[in-house]
Amino acid sequence: MRIELVCGVAVAAAACGNGARTSTAPVELREVADHELRAVADFDGIRDRDARSRALFAEAGRVLMHPRCVNCHPAGDIPHQRLAMELHDPPVQRGPDDRGVVGMECTGCHQDRNQELTRVPGAPGWHLAPIEMAWVGKSAAHICAQIQDPARNGGKTLAEIVEHSAHDELVAWGWAPGADREPVPGTQAEFGALVAAWVATGAACPPPEEQ
Amino acid sequence: MKIRVNGTERTLDVDPEMPLLWAIRDVLGLTGTKYGCGEALCGACSVHLDGHVVRSCVTPVRRAEGKRVTTIEGLSAAGDHPLQRAWLELRVPQCGFCQAGQLMTAAALLEATPAPTDDEIDASMAGNLCRCGTYPRIRAAIKRAAGIKGDEP
Amino acid sequence: MTVTRRSFLIGLNLAVGGLALGIYPRDALAAEPAGLSPNVFVRIAPDGVVTIVCHRSEMGQGVRSSLPALIAAELGASLDRVVVEQALGDAKYGDQNTDGSSSVRERIDDLRRAGAAARQMLITAAAKQWKVKPATCAAAGHQVVHAASARALDFGDLVAAARKLAVPKPESLELRPMAELRAVLHPTLPLLDGPAFVEGKAQFGADVSLPGMLIAVIARPPVVGGTVAKYDADAALKIPGVRHVIAMPEPVAPWLFKPWGGIAVVAENTWAAMRGRAALDLSWNDGDNAGYDSAAFDDEMLASVRAPGTTRRQVGDVDAAMTAAARIVEAEYLVPHLAHLSMEPPTALVAIDGDQVEVWAPTQNPQGARGEVARTLGVAEDNVTVHVTLLGGGFGRKSKPDFVAEAAFLARETGAPVRVQWTREDDVRHGYYNAVSAQRLRAGLDADGKVTAWHHRTAFTPIGSTFDGVSDEPGDGDLQQGVLDLALDVPNVRAESCKARAQVRVGWYRSVYNIFHAFSVGSFIDELAAERKVDPRDMWLEIIGPAREVSLQELGIAKLGNYGHTLDDHPVDAGRLRNVIERVTASAKWDERAASGRFLGLAAHRSFVAYTAVVISVVADPVRTFRIDEAWISMDAGTIVNEERVHSQLEGGLIMGISNALYGGVTMKQGRTVQSNFRDARIARIRDAPRRIHTDLVASDALAAGVGEPPVPPVGPALANALFALTGKRLRAIPLAKALGI
Repeated sequence: MRIELVCGVAVAAAACGNGARTSTAPVELREVADHELRAVADFDGIRDRDARSRALFAEAGRVLMHPRCVNCHPAGDIPHQRLAMELHDPPVQRGPDDRGVVGMECTGCHQDRNQELTRVPGAPGWHLAPIEMAWVGKSAAHICAQIQDPARNGGKTLAEIVEHSAHDELVAWGWAPGADREPVPGTQAEFGALVAAWVATGAACPPPEEQ
Repeated sequence: MKIRVNGTERTLDVDPEMPLLWAIRDVLGLTGTKYGCGEALCGACSVHLDGHVVRSCVTPVRRAEGKRVTTIEGLSAAGDHPLQRAWLELRVPQCGFCQAGQLMTAAALLEATPAPTDDEIDASMAGNLCRCGTYPRIRAAIKRAAGIKGDEP
Repeated sequence: MTVTRRSFLIGLNLAVGGLALGIYPRDALAAEPAGLSPNVFVRIAPDGVVTIVCHRSEMGQGVRSSLPALIAAELGASLDRVVVEQALGDAKYGDQNTDGSSSVRERIDDLRRAGAAARQMLITAAAKQWKVKPATCAAAGHQVVHAASARALDFGDLVAAARKLAVPKPESLELRPMAELRAVLHPTLPLLDGPAFVEGKAQFGADVSLPGMLIAVIARPPVVGGTVAKYDADAALKIPGVRHVIAMPEPVAPWLFKPWGGIAVVAENTWAAMRGRAALDLSWNDGDNAGYDSAAFDDEMLASVRAPGTTRRQVGDVDAAMTAAARIVEAEYLVPHLAHLSMEPPTALVAIDGDQVEVWAPTQNPQGARGEVARTLGVAEDNVTVHVTLLGGGFGRKSKPDFVAEAAFLARETGAPVRVQWTREDDVRHGYYNAVSAQRLRAGLDADGKVTAWHHRTAFTPIGSTFDGVSDEPGDGDLQQGVLDLALDVPNVRAESCKARAQVRVGWYRSVYNIFHAFSVGSFIDELAAERKVDPRDMWLEIIGPAREVSLQELGIAKLGNYGHTLDDHPVDAGRLRNVIERVTASAKWDERAASGRFLGLAAHRSFVAYTAVVISVVADPVRTFRIDEAWISMDAGTIVNEERVHSQLEGGLIMGISNALYGGVTMKQGRTVQSNFRDARIARIRDAPRRIHTDLVASDALAAGVGEPPVPPVGPALANALFALTGKRLRAIPLAKALGI
């Protein structure tokens, strides 16, 4: 599984997938294939609420920090493409409203759904995440903090974050990216449940920058 | 479905998923818009949808329903849009195949940004390929149409 | 046919009756019955309209704006009363192959004579009427004028009398002095098809429609020579609009211009045909070329150039000189297959009506298309009419009428007019690629650093392989492109050809073998300069040697193909090569580059008997490693017809050369082309074009040389040399973007 970004050490093992021990909880998570997401119930064995919350976030992080999602959360003005996170070609730029510049608007090419024969991925309202939601090169701790900060998450409450994760159409694209693109793990419903459970356990974040 | 093409309402009885390009070319017989790649990589198929540039080779015709489509044939009534005039004054085209797409994108650029910088021109025109290498003259013609002084070939 | 005052009408797009649908009636192209038609190129009607036939294909090089203007200038016609008609494919026009940068250099005299014949007949008629000597009359501004008596007659008014005269014999024709022609040609000529281009009215291959026409999209075997194993015709036929699913003839080597094979889906519109093809669920028998792997083949070619080959050029004793050398410099260069990637993918329309066949195609080779269609259908060529549309780029791809043969086959099989539409993927994957190549250069230097020995080995699959199925080593005809015609002031020289077998269709692509010969030689001279710590410009001039016409003996060869010319007409002129190097470096302020902090690269090359030199400037760029900020290109192509269009060829050739060097290349794996569309078969985008380009044409009375291809070859090495100046890194393999990681 290719995860390019830094995971907080405490949840490194869980986030990177296959059930090794964490340093703060003696619970071993079950092994899952790269394309599967663990269920909320898989974390019930973590007694400590904060630790369970962080572990749930780490699991959700397998979606959040997958290139399929991160590609449209660039730290600069150019989206990325493909698992190797190359710079988008044809060359496009963020533009004033995160929707591209004149003549190169996102929706000039990207439609409301994937175009199979012509290979262009699509979902309603295709556009870049605003710069304050940049995830490329950010740690799990940073993303965790940003997601729940109304000043940087589009003014959303935690409940709205859960709703967004479970039902947003652009978010949904990650699981059905079209053509031969690798989808993010699990399903949107499972992801939404993990995010809900994370919120319900206090939305704890991994410790910052432990490398 | 009904779409408005170059000011005229047209009724189309086609697969709603047919790309607008083929509806324009094969069904409506407007052949000024070109097929170059079919995957939104070259810009030869560029048209305006309610004034915004779209690559018609990947845009399903259903998206144009109830909207205004402008093709190169509709850019001006008499071939005298400032860009068309600048294109001729500077003899921009070589083979000419990409130029309809270039003009449509340039027209949208100048509509939104009447005095674009070099960087803005390169950014907006980045999706329109030209194999013959007319890029320098495209830049110069956009500036001429915009009334910007610059180096001209 | 009504004629308006609008200047320089367009033969293909006259608004006459049924032309609105792109159908042009045959009789529009028939000879004017009451007019003057001294030859196949010129017709003058009684109303004075001069119809001039353009016999070569327009693919952006401006031939339709140039050749008729040349004839008109020789004739003395005003362009606003000239109609240009595109020739059908017909041997009566002579060679119509639009390739090899040959339209002006090979046909300039024929075309001038065509105009001169009409001029002389009009003058003779006027002189008779005025009872004066023809020598006292002149033709200009669409009139014949007798200056002494201030009498003038419009061309139209002379037609009736002139057409009764005998057509002058070619040897009796007097051509105007070139200076007189230049006075007419060199104020800028109109761009004939400009308005059609900018209004979207220009008719390219896919823009012609016929009633009942069907569109075919063909699934071709991924490996050349492969065949269909199985497919699901029913699945394709279920797609609404699909009418037929037809097996194409299976390919048999040698490939020539034959269709590649596969399964055609024929439908009412392009989208249905594409969907139908996608539904076919094909599997293939890959055949003999399934093992073609580019990485392995690079190794094979490198091994080939590391062993002795066939000597093609020899002076002195290279081996002895190398043994005696104080130092040896050696380098190997790799250039991949290059694909044409013209913006218009191949397409052709064929309609069969009884025993008559009509073809509309963007072909560089109308007579070849005619022959291929006749052969495919088993009919006489006389029954085949080939209309040449505008080409959305050719670069050599559309010289091969395989796509026209496909349309002919399907028109017969379906009984309907059929347009075959190649998708971009088809174009990327089933081309006639420029040959892949490995080059090895070795130089021996004496104690003073003088080059005493030059040893070049070149390996590439010759185009002959596409025609004979077996050629695996370049011959003299191939090596004339940059190996045998290379001026070298070196006492010991040897050039050898080395083997490289064909595993794909190889064809010619704008400047052809000159691309890799110029890349390797042009980079190597720069490497020698670096080794010796001398200025590259000085190194070039030293290696080329003094201004002189280089003899066969000095070249070390018995004969030189010389692009079809004698050495008397087009010598290997070291002085002209030196001159463009000196001009371009002066323009680029080469000598001040260190002081100005600029990183410049230089290269020069002779090709198609023209001489070109290029300087490229690069600057560091935080995002993309570097940017080309400025470029200079100087060319000496002798006598020029359409100066303005030649400048556009210099600009365009420069950008294509940049494209080739930075991004060029299709690669093969398991016999298949790896790339599919512009996402991975990349070409230059607007940001890759330098913001300042300086084009310089040497004013010359020398015989006309090629202009379409010569701008390209020196660009790649100039760029690589500039990047060396910037980064200190020598890049010996194309695409350069790969080594730079961009």
